[in-house]
Amino acid sequence: MAPTRGSSKGASSGGASKGSKGTKPSTLSSSSRVSKPSSKKNVKRPPPVEVKSKARTAPENLKRKKKRVYTEAELDLPKLNQITPVGVVKPKGKKKGKVFVDDQEGMMTILAMVNAEKEGQIESKMMKARQLEEIREAKKAEAEARMKEKKSKLDAVKDSIRNKKKNKGGNDKGAESSSASSKSAKGKRKSVSFA
Amino acid sequence: MRELTEEEAKVLFSKLANYTGRSLNNLIAPPEGDQTERHVFRLQGSRVYYLPLRLANYATSIPRANLLSAGTIIRTNYEQGKFTKTMKFRLHITALSVIAPHSRYKVWIKANGEMPFLYGGNVLKAHAARWSEDCPEHSGVVVYSMNDEPLGFGVTARSTAEAKKLEPTGIVVFRQADAGEYLREEDSLFTA
Repeated sequence: MAPTRGSSKGASSGGASKGSKGTKPSTLSSSSRVSKPSSKKNVKRPPPVEVKSKARTAPENLKRKKKRVYTEAELDLPKLNQITPVGVVKPKGKKKGKVFVDDQEGMMTILAMVNAEKEGQIESKMMKARQLEEIREAKKAEAEARMKEKKSKLDAVKDSIRNKKKNKGGNDKGAESSSASSKSAKGKRKSVSFA
Repeated sequence: MRELTEEEAKVLFSKLANYTGRSLNNLIAPPEGDQTERHVFRLQGSRVYYLPLRLANYATSIPRANLLSAGTIIRTNYEQGKFTKTMKFRLHITALSVIAPHSRYKVWIKANGEMPFLYGGNVLKAHAARWSEDCPEHSGVVVYSMNDEPLGFGVTARSTAEAKKLEPTGIVVFRQADAGEYLREEDSLFTA
């Protein structure tokens, strides 16, 4: 719309200005043609800002994903930030307080368990005692055998000495007589007796 | 007065099983299966009682504070009121009537050994007339007089085989409870 209007105006003005050629077309045009207001040129615009496209790894882009929201129960966090002792934590969905056994079957099962345990203990005790007894017996037998051996050795030595003496007596009597004389000398030795 | 928990029952039975054999089952289940005469264990204060179910049911009508005793006392705590925590306790002489018919190991003592035992002494070899065969060391025994009267119970100091070799003054059974306690501890035996 604007150019058509402008052209019609220009045509009329063109007809009037034919005589005077010296007029500047620029002024004419400026006066006749619709142009942008001159004030527009002076309007200060903000300096162009460079728009940066952000990287995919930028935190804003990453945040776009829907984040899962955990409820507190799901996290299972301790109420206070401290250690809860084992005894304090109560298992969920369990009966509060003591569990009594009063029915006969329950008691019997406990008793059977206890009995089996006790019998096992007694059995192991007996086994141990028996083994110890066996070891003791074996040791005793060994000691006895050793004693017998020692005794027999001693007897053998004694016998050999006796035999030697007998043999010596048979061989030379002079030696024996000398020994006898020495014995008699020994017999005369003073003896002390207590009353 | 309340029932025992599982743990308490276990502790109690393991103590009783020291002295008794398999026939301990008869304590809980009467041989003829009569439900009305079923015997139960009940905890009152620091003591465990053994009593017929009928009596236990009657006992519920008496306030705890007023109930002094009901049935046979089986055991008492070392420290009163702490049975459930420490689980330490000792069998009372009153439990003898419960243990004696089911005893596993037995020792019979001569007439001259009865008095020393009833006054709180251990059983010496010289006093022991005879004892069960194959009895291991440190196991519970019930002590009987020569005419088969239970006098008390204790723990063997030696196994049967070892006891045979022991000198006459050696201890064969360590005393744990004897019938003399009925007199010696008359003041505290049945009171809380």
